[in-house]
Amino acid sequence: MNKSELIKALAEKKKLHVDDSTKIVSAFVDSIKEALVRGDRVEIRGFGSFKIKDYSGYTGRNPKTGDMVKVKPKKLPFFRPGKELKEFING
Amino acid sequence: MSGQTLTKAGIVDYLYEKTDKNRAEIKEMVETILEIMKQAVKNDHALLVSGFGKFEAYDKKARKGRNPQTNETITLPPRKVVVFRLSRKFRSELNP
Repeated sequence: MNKSELIKALAEKKKLHVDDSTKIVSAFVDSIKEALVRGDRVEIRGFGSFKIKDYSGYTGRNPKTGDMVKVKPKKLPFFRPGKELKEFING
Repeated sequence: MSGQTLTKAGIVDYLYEKTDKNRAEIKEMVETILEIMKQAVKNDHALLVSGFGKFEAYDKKARKGRNPQTNETITLPPRKVVVFRLSRKFRSELNP
């Protein structure tokens, strides 16, 4: 499933206009993204939680050429599925 | 790092500011979105949210494990696990 199918499914289930549904799904995703960009945790009961991990930069090597490369510090989000989601998927 | 946590209540507040719906309606819609997302991960094994990332369910084989407290050997059953892969767009938003 992709985002537009998610929008359609919500519109059908809640008898919404697709424009309305698009707004809601987009704002839902934005709320999570904005929180993570701020460095906040996100915890959605029954679904899972997200948290940002900070990686410091380091000087690595390209294994093929042996060249030194500087790897910049980065932030990556991690998702931990909730208990309910795990059980649901395996049920 | 601010140390705040966004929960369902916070998502509902956010949507309340952005739409003309009331809180009860929004709460229901958030629950419905999560329900659809769960179904999609289960039935399609993948849910792609453009600009954010992809939730994927994949199969893990059964493997032998050990209870570290009792040292008992147990067989962990095959199961499905869910992983999140972030999109390039979101990755660059996190690392401007």
